[in-house]
Amino acid sequence: MNITFIIASFVAVLATIMAITRYNLIHALLYLVISFLSIAIVFFVLGAPFVAALEIIVYAGAIVVLIIFVIMMLNLKEESVEQERIWFSRKVILGPSILSIVLLGELIYILLSHETTALTTQAVDAKSVGLSLYGPYIIGVELSGLLLMSGVVGAYHLGRQKKKVQHRFLENQTT
Amino acid sequence: MNRSDLYSLTPLLILSSAAILNFFSISIKRNHKVIFAITVLSLIGDFIFLTSYSLYHQQHIDPLLVVDGFGIFNIGLILLTTLVVALMSYAYFEQREERKEEYYILLILAALGACIMVISKHFVSFFLGLEVLSVSLYSLIAYLRTRERSDEAGIKYLILAAFSSAFLLFGMSLIYATTGKMDFGGIGYYLTTTQDIPLIMMAGLGMLIVGAGFKLGVVPFHMWTPDVYEGAPTPVTAFIATVSKGGMIALLVRFFNAINGYQYESFTNLFTVLSIASMFVGNILALRQTNLKRILAYSSISHIGYLLVAFLSGGSMGAQATTFYLVAYFITTLGAFGIIATLSDQHRDAELIDDYRGLLWRRPLTAVAFSAMLLSLAGIPLTAGFIAKFYVITAGIGTQHWLLVFCLVVNSVIGLYYYIKIIAVMFDQKLQIKSAKELHPLVYVISSVTIAVLAVFLFWLGVSPEGMLSLIDDVI
Repeated sequence: MNITFIIASFVAVLATIMAITRYNLIHALLYLVISFLSIAIVFFVLGAPFVAALEIIVYAGAIVVLIIFVIMMLNLKEESVEQERIWFSRKVILGPSILSIVLLGELIYILLSHETTALTTQAVDAKSVGLSLYGPYIIGVELSGLLLMSGVVGAYHLGRQKKKVQHRFLENQTT
Repeated sequence: MNRSDLYSLTPLLILSSAAILNFFSISIKRNHKVIFAITVLSLIGDFIFLTSYSLYHQQHIDPLLVVDGFGIFNIGLILLTTLVVALMSYAYFEQREERKEEYYILLILAALGACIMVISKHFVSFFLGLEVLSVSLYSLIAYLRTRERSDEAGIKYLILAAFSSAFLLFGMSLIYATTGKMDFGGIGYYLTTTQDIPLIMMAGLGMLIVGAGFKLGVVPFHMWTPDVYEGAPTPVTAFIATVSKGGMIALLVRFFNAINGYQYESFTNLFTVLSIASMFVGNILALRQTNLKRILAYSSISHIGYLLVAFLSGGSMGAQATTFYLVAYFITTLGAFGIIATLSDQHRDAELIDDYRGLLWRRPLTAVAFSAMLLSLAGIPLTAGFIAKFYVITAGIGTQHWLLVFCLVVNSVIGLYYYIKIIAVMFDQKLQIKSAKELHPLVYVISSVTIAVLAVFLFWLGVSPEGMLSLIDDVI
């Protein structure tokens, strides 16, 4: 089981790095799907099959479809890829990546130096997830509802488009 | 959840119902007045309900929340601040052609998030409260879509806040990995059983401080502050400067008391560095600004630095000084931004220092009120800011934080320069005649009365702080 965990988390990290560095959005998205799937396996190995299923249904399924729609609507051309290539040049990312690798090394040292308690895996099924969500953590569920509400209201306001005016003379008349 | 739990949660229920009521009211008919009335009435009603609690009220709503005197006091502070922000928003948004109604829903939700933060005793409720606050703030900051800088400020805040949330979550998960607990009490209990903090938990707490430091805007996590303050609509800026920061401070006080963080040298050293850096960087960068909103942004960075002095003192004296400082700082900041909001015209905010040249001769009362607010920020006697700073210094000396107190005194002198500079500009006798479109007089009455009440509170707290102090003493 341990080896499954290690492989899955390694794939997740690698896929996420690939998703960030791809210039082609669809390729990046495919790597993102792989990252989600491997995280689902991590959840499964840790004894949370319900969360693993949710990860696949919600993230790898619904959210990825949403992102595809957004990509279709944005209709990005070659120029934007070129622009990104310029922004993401080797010179620009060199400094930040060296600093992050130093931090990563520190973090790995901390994690390795400390004896973590062994994981006692016991499967958490859908029923017990539901019981705790609608039992003691009901306030958390309600708060998530309010969180979504603020997101929806904000997105509605910011995303609302102005009426397009076809002709510049008409524009002068209307304003 | 039983009846007494529900009774303790009623203030939050009123807030969320107000948001939903606004929602439905928009779907029937868009009317700025109606939405404004619902918002203001529900905030006032909520505050009145809050005063029905006894000061020693203590209700644990396991596992997420605890409603105690400290929490009730802070909720009251948040509600009143939101009320003032809503009152000054009406005139501000009435003259802009954007749709105004969604603003109030987001404002109420943001206040709700802050309220959750100050009564949470568990990482889950802490994080959810923080996210409700942040997500509402993203859209509030970028609310005026016709302005370019608004978008920029919104995006900046979105990316940095999301990044700091990631730090926060990573920190929480590291702490959970060591202690196996997510509630503050459980983490505190774990710490009493070990000799010193394990390295992995230290890393987790450090990341937690990074996330909290971003929200507070302490140096070196302050980069977003001036740009967001400048780009956001002025009432929203007032909200960020007060509620968003105050909620985080209250949460830090609760968390550090629960885990007894003051006994660990590494944390006190860390906060000492943050505090000194914030004081110096904030004040020195403010010196050369010509934009009033940016000056107030840098001044807020240094004020959080002063607040950390009180926070570091720990104990009941420290908590008392922190809370009193928050109250004084809230009143002063709201007043200052309120005046900027009333002076703003249709196209831009009155944010350049030149907008204030000769204000005394054009609008004497406003200029006097603004001078009072600035003097309170500087900590001149007779204002609330003086008493607050006095208590911070007392708390600092009482716990032998000499270095911090010394830095505080030096920085108060540096800060005086740019506050006095603004006042000097207002007294300048160069007349500028600006003709702004007159709004309905009632709109001005609301804003002016709000600012007048704030000014009265400012002097009242500065002259006789005993009432507020004994109230704070009771709740802590």
